[in-house]
Amino acid sequence: MISKIVGFFSFFLFLMALEANELDFNAGVNSSFGNSYDFYSFSENTLDLNIFYKNFQSWVQYEYSNPPDIGFPINDIRKFRMEYDSRNFLIKLGDIYEIWGRGLSLNQFDDQTTNFDNGLRGLFIEYNKNPFTISHINGSSEFWNLGFDLRVPYFKDKHNMIANRFQYEKGTFTLGLTQLQSNEVHSKQDLNTANVSHKINGFYTSLFMKNFDYFIEYVDKISTEEVISIGSLPNDSLKHGYGLYANYNIYLGSWGFLSEYKKYAFDSFHGDQNADDYGNQILYQQMPSLGKEHNSTLLGRLSHNYNFNDERGVQYELNGSFYDISLTAQYAHLSRNQTWESMSGPFDWVRKPLKSNLPSTDISSLPYYENYQELSGYFLSDQLYFKLGRGGNKEVIGTNWYYNGLQTDTTLTTTFNYDTSYSIYLPDYPIITIDSLVDTSSTSYNINAKNWRESKSYTIPFELNYSMSNGYTFGIGFQYQERKLVEKREGNAKSYNVAQSKWIMVNPDDHSETFKSSVSQLSYDGQNKSTQFNRLISLTVSKASKWSFSLTQDWTNAYEVQNVDPYYNPLEALIYGDLKYFTGDRDKVKPPSFIQDKWLSAEFIYYITSSQRISIMYGSIQGGLFCSNGICRLIPSFNDGLKIGYSASF
Amino acid sequence: MTLKMIKYIFILLFFYTSLSGADESTNLIPDLKIKLLDGSKVSLHELVEEGPLMIDFWATWCVPCKKVMKYLDQYNQEYQSQGFKVLMINTDSPRSIGKVKSYIRSQKHTFKVGLDPNKVISKKLNGLVMPTLILVDKGGEIKWRHQGYLPGEEVEIEKQIKLLLNNK
Repeated sequence: MISKIVGFFSFFLFLMALEANELDFNAGVNSSFGNSYDFYSFSENTLDLNIFYKNFQSWVQYEYSNPPDIGFPINDIRKFRMEYDSRNFLIKLGDIYEIWGRGLSLNQFDDQTTNFDNGLRGLFIEYNKNPFTISHINGSSEFWNLGFDLRVPYFKDKHNMIANRFQYEKGTFTLGLTQLQSNEVHSKQDLNTANVSHKINGFYTSLFMKNFDYFIEYVDKISTEEVISIGSLPNDSLKHGYGLYANYNIYLGSWGFLSEYKKYAFDSFHGDQNADDYGNQILYQQMPSLGKEHNSTLLGRLSHNYNFNDERGVQYELNGSFYDISLTAQYAHLSRNQTWESMSGPFDWVRKPLKSNLPSTDISSLPYYENYQELSGYFLSDQLYFKLGRGGNKEVIGTNWYYNGLQTDTTLTTTFNYDTSYSIYLPDYPIITIDSLVDTSSTSYNINAKNWRESKSYTIPFELNYSMSNGYTFGIGFQYQERKLVEKREGNAKSYNVAQSKWIMVNPDDHSETFKSSVSQLSYDGQNKSTQFNRLISLTVSKASKWSFSLTQDWTNAYEVQNVDPYYNPLEALIYGDLKYFTGDRDKVKPPSFIQDKWLSAEFIYYITSSQRISIMYGSIQGGLFCSNGICRLIPSFNDGLKIGYSASF
Repeated sequence: MTLKMIKYIFILLFFYTSLSGADESTNLIPDLKIKLLDGSKVSLHELVEEGPLMIDFWATWCVPCKKVMKYLDQYNQEYQSQGFKVLMINTDSPRSIGKVKSYIRSQKHTFKVGLDPNKVISKKLNGLVMPTLILVDKGGEIKWRHQGYLPGEEVEIEKQIKLLLNNK
């Protein structure tokens, strides 16, 4: 029905354009194609058209992708929306994307690079009578989540959502009250579904002044599940949680200091969302993460896996400048809202809420620390640009066991009692009765057993560009990273014996004897590596407004999961001067050992006009974590392939 | 049937748009409302009432955006007396929007900064590639579009601004 309305609406606008020539519009085209040696191929094409006619606006996005880089093949209208915007009324019909506050109750966006789309197809109405604004949304969404396949989604959750907002704005002061309810049909691992209802109520307030500003948002959330099994009460409360975010900034001259605090406690039992875990933070809620959004490839790969269900933290950032040098310094510390300790063995866990509202340093609360400092600026009459940074992070990824308590050893003693009295049945032998008496005397001693995985790294990104007056620019970028990923153990017990339900002591005769061990989880070709060294170097030459050429090499010495570059290509042979490749003395497919840990690619970008450009990339790109908008996904490597892109806006 | 019809309409509109794109004189900027960094609101038509406007989309993590901002701020101050102004539309998500004002203050930039955290404005103006520059004349007509920034392109940007100011 909505499609029909939009169709007629677009047609109406088209006719109006022909008749009255009062129609304004713009269009954008994005096209990308890729094909690699190991059958990683995609073809994505989107056309965006915006039409404006007096108070009416219409947007249509058409997509032809077969297959896309990530998602399902499509040859259809992907998104559409029409809007009517008068002085007091704003009405939208179609695909709705809204943000209320900082997103603790509602933050919708469409990011095709990570296949994240939490938009809603429906109706949005807003009435504004200064200083009051009332907004209403209702409609439905389908969220697709990836399963084992890194490119094709598998699980689908359906939401029917209704949300309302009341906002008061006076000068630079804002107060908003929000309410959102969503009925979800959740797809589980076994492909059964669960009917879940979510209710979110919250408020936010902000004030912007010349030398300071603040923002605070709080939401309360209740989820209930429709229970249909006999004997259970229907609509049992499933989960109850809340979220708090606060931001306070101070500005003095050319310096700005940011401080942020968050406490998200929607579900402490399920930190990692999977198909069988529902009722916690829903995808409409996309909140501040309190982490630095990096533009360095190597730092981006280390992004923390933010936990929107159960995480608290603080972040501070200082921005300033002196002379022509800009400075940024950032620090963040996050942790879970509680510690998790083993009850006895490593399989039963008990949580203890943290005593303060600040993030914890305790290993069992999975702390995460990051810091980043950067200097950038211009020299030589703005001809030389430099950027030098240093980023460090440390994270406890998970605990296998964490026990601090007592273990009791019980001694069993069997006593035989001999009855030597005479028996008429066995006159030659005394009767022996085996009365085993158990001696329950026991000894207790303290166990301190910790086993966790920890990652620690530092990264130095560096960039230098020299621009000449004739429009040519030469640039070099270098990123260096050292990373350790270890499994650590410490305490007076080194492991746990499941059969005996007992901790195995380091020294059974001396319980006070402790040990520490640290085993690297990184390796290369089966050989353990204590440190992973990553280096990324890029050389760039460009001519202003015309073209740009860059050569990039990504180099590592160790992996968490082995992921060598499996294919050799002429670009790699050329750059490394491997004449054997061209004389036919080298295997054309399997790369020699000196190239297996390197990914090399070349990219050429040509500006057809100021608003149209085409890019061609050839080579290999290492897979790994890719983050955008705070959403991360693992991307497969792209080996020995070609990518072509075209973008234009009219 | 309905979707097929929409497809045909869309294709027709696209060709019409593309053909009309050559005649830039018909390309008016829509009157979109935008929230500014100081908490106030303004519409694009209000901004072009006084003179030409350069719109640029940027984010705190976008290095080329930061490079071109330095020059746009220079032009904003240099040609202010002729009614020219720059509007930088920030597309940072709520995850880093708190850092925007801090960065702008640290760079002593004087241009207006708008906030578009869920990219509604940037989608309507086709500014998803960052940076995207849109030069609009006093009457609201889009005179020049530019995607991306390579060092040295500030010369062309200033040339387009001067051209527009001289032709007004």
